[in-house]
Amino acid sequence: MTQDDAAAQDAEALAATIWTQVDRALSGVSARPEPSVRDLIVHIPPDELVRGLRALKHDAALAFDYLRCLTCVDNEDDGMDVVYHLYSIAGRYNLTVKTQLPPDNLAVDSATGVWRAADWYEREAQEMFGVRFRGHPDPRNLLMPEEITDSFPLRKDHPLAEIEVLQGEGVAYSEEPA
Amino acid sequence: MTTVPFPHEHEFETQDLMINMGPQHPSTHGVFRMVLQVDGEVVRDVVPYIGYMHRGGEKLAETMDFRQGIGWMDRTEYLAQHNAELSYVMAVEALAELEVPERAQWIRMILCELNRLSSHFMFTGAFGTDAGIFGTAFVYSFREREVILDLFEEISGDRLMYAYFRPGGLAWDVPDNFARRVAEVLKSTRQGIKDMDGLLTENEIFRARTVDIGKISAADAIDWGCTGPVLRASGVPLDLRRTEPYLYYDQLDFDIITGTNGDVYDRFVVRVEEMRQSVRIIEQCMERLRPGPILPDRLPRMLRTPPGEVYLRTEAPRGEYGIYMVSRGGNRPHRLKIRSSCFANLQALRDMTIGSYVADAVVILGSLDIVLCEVDR
Repeated sequence: MTQDDAAAQDAEALAATIWTQVDRALSGVSARPEPSVRDLIVHIPPDELVRGLRALKHDAALAFDYLRCLTCVDNEDDGMDVVYHLYSIAGRYNLTVKTQLPPDNLAVDSATGVWRAADWYEREAQEMFGVRFRGHPDPRNLLMPEEITDSFPLRKDHPLAEIEVLQGEGVAYSEEPA
Repeated sequence: MTTVPFPHEHEFETQDLMINMGPQHPSTHGVFRMVLQVDGEVVRDVVPYIGYMHRGGEKLAETMDFRQGIGWMDRTEYLAQHNAELSYVMAVEALAELEVPERAQWIRMILCELNRLSSHFMFTGAFGTDAGIFGTAFVYSFREREVILDLFEEISGDRLMYAYFRPGGLAWDVPDNFARRVAEVLKSTRQGIKDMDGLLTENEIFRARTVDIGKISAADAIDWGCTGPVLRASGVPLDLRRTEPYLYYDQLDFDIITGTNGDVYDRFVVRVEEMRQSVRIIEQCMERLRPGPILPDRLPRMLRTPPGEVYLRTEAPRGEYGIYMVSRGGNRPHRLKIRSSCFANLQALRDMTIGSYVADAVVILGSLDIVLCEVDR
C-alpha cells in the first residue's frame, strides 16, 4: 500500500467518523451524506437548514464554530444549491453543508443568527444569484450599485459581453477541438 | 477598547456627525469607502462600502479553461499572487487527480513563502505610513520588497502577474542561479526585518498609536470568519500550514505565531514574526530542493476534470484563500468561488472600530492589510 492509499483510507475513516457525529447532532433533521474529493458533504432540505446548522454549531463534540465560506451554485433548470463550508477549530473537522432550492422558490432562512460571518456572504449571494435569505438584518446590495436588484450576474443565463477582436482580419476567439 | 472620556456627553445635547471617507482616499489601500458616524472624536458607527473593484471575476473564470484561469488569480490577489495561484492549481489537481513532481512542490513552497515576505513588507511599509511614521518605513520596506520582486521577475518574466504555476507543476524550471539568488534575497530580507523592528516594533510613538487599539476577542474574530494574522493576533493558532498541511509543510520546522491582545499592535507583530518564520521555511526548503522534473510525464494538452467539487484552501499572507471549484466534466469549471481572506476580515472592521477615535480608524483599517481587488474580485 502506498502512502497515498493509506491517506485515502484515513480520509474515508475520518469522513465516516464525522458522519456518525453529524448524524447524531442532526437528530430530527433529515440529512443525507455524500462523499467528495476532500470534505464530507451533507445535504439538508431548505426548510430544516438553519435548525441543522445551529445544531452543528452548538453540538459539544463537533462545534463547527467557523463558517469558512458560503456561496451558491447555479444548476440552471434544477434550481440552486446553497453551499456552506464549516470548520471546527477545536476538533479540526471540515464539513460541507448543501441545500437544494427549487427554481420556483429561491429562498432560504438566513444563517446570520448562527455565524455573523454569514452576513456579507449572504448579501453577495443574494445580489449575484437572486437567492433570498429570509430574516437577513441588512439585505442591501453589497458589491453592485444599490439600484440594481433585478439582474443576477453570476447566474448561468446571464449573458457575457462578446469578446472583441481588435487585430487581424477574421481572427476570432475559438475553442480548441475536443 | 478605548474609553470615552467626554464629560460633556450627558451635560448637553450633542449631534452625531457623518463623515465620508473614500472611495478615493490614500489610507484606504484601494477603492474602499466607509461612512463614519462620529460624536466629537469618538466613532459611534461605521458602514463600509465595497464593490468598486468588482469585475465579475468568478464568472469570467467560469468561461476560461483551467490554464487561462491561473492568470485571473493574479489579478484578484495582486500582492500574494503565487499564493492565489497555488489554491487554484491545487483545486484543479485535486479534481483531475494529478500527481505533482517533488521539485515543483518545493519550488512552489519557496515562492509562496517569498511572496508572503514581499506581501508583509508591503504591509509594514504602508502601515507605518498609516500610523504616522511618514515615508521612512515605507521606503525601507519597499527596498526589500523590490529585491524579492526582482527575483520573481527573473523566474516568471513578470514583476507582478506571474502566472507561473500550472496544474501539475510549474510553467518552466527556475534559472540555474536560483540558489544563489534566494540566498541573496534572504540576506537582505533578514536585514529588512531587523530594520522594521528598529523602526516600528520598538518605536515608542508607534506603540502609543497601536497598543490596545482596535481590539477584537478570539470568539468574535472566529464568529466573523477572520483568518490569518488578524485571527492569530487574537490568540487562535489557526494556520492551515499546520492544521491542514499541504505541499510539504508537515516536514518542516516552524512556529505558528500568535498574539495575546488582539489589538493593532499584535496584528503588526504577528506579521513581522511570521516573516522570520518564512525565512526559516525557505532555508529548509532550499536544503531539500533536488534536481528533477517540474511537470508530470503525461499531461494532456487540454486538461479535463471528471465531475466533482472541491473546496481547496491554503494559507495566504492575509489568511485563508479558498477556491471552491465545481466541475461538471470538461475543460472549465462549472462554478468557481473565490473565498477571499480580506472579505471576511473586513466584516469585523465595524466591531473593531466602534468606540475608538476617528484618527485610529485609519490605523485599524490598515492593520487588516486589505487588498480591495481580492475583496471585490
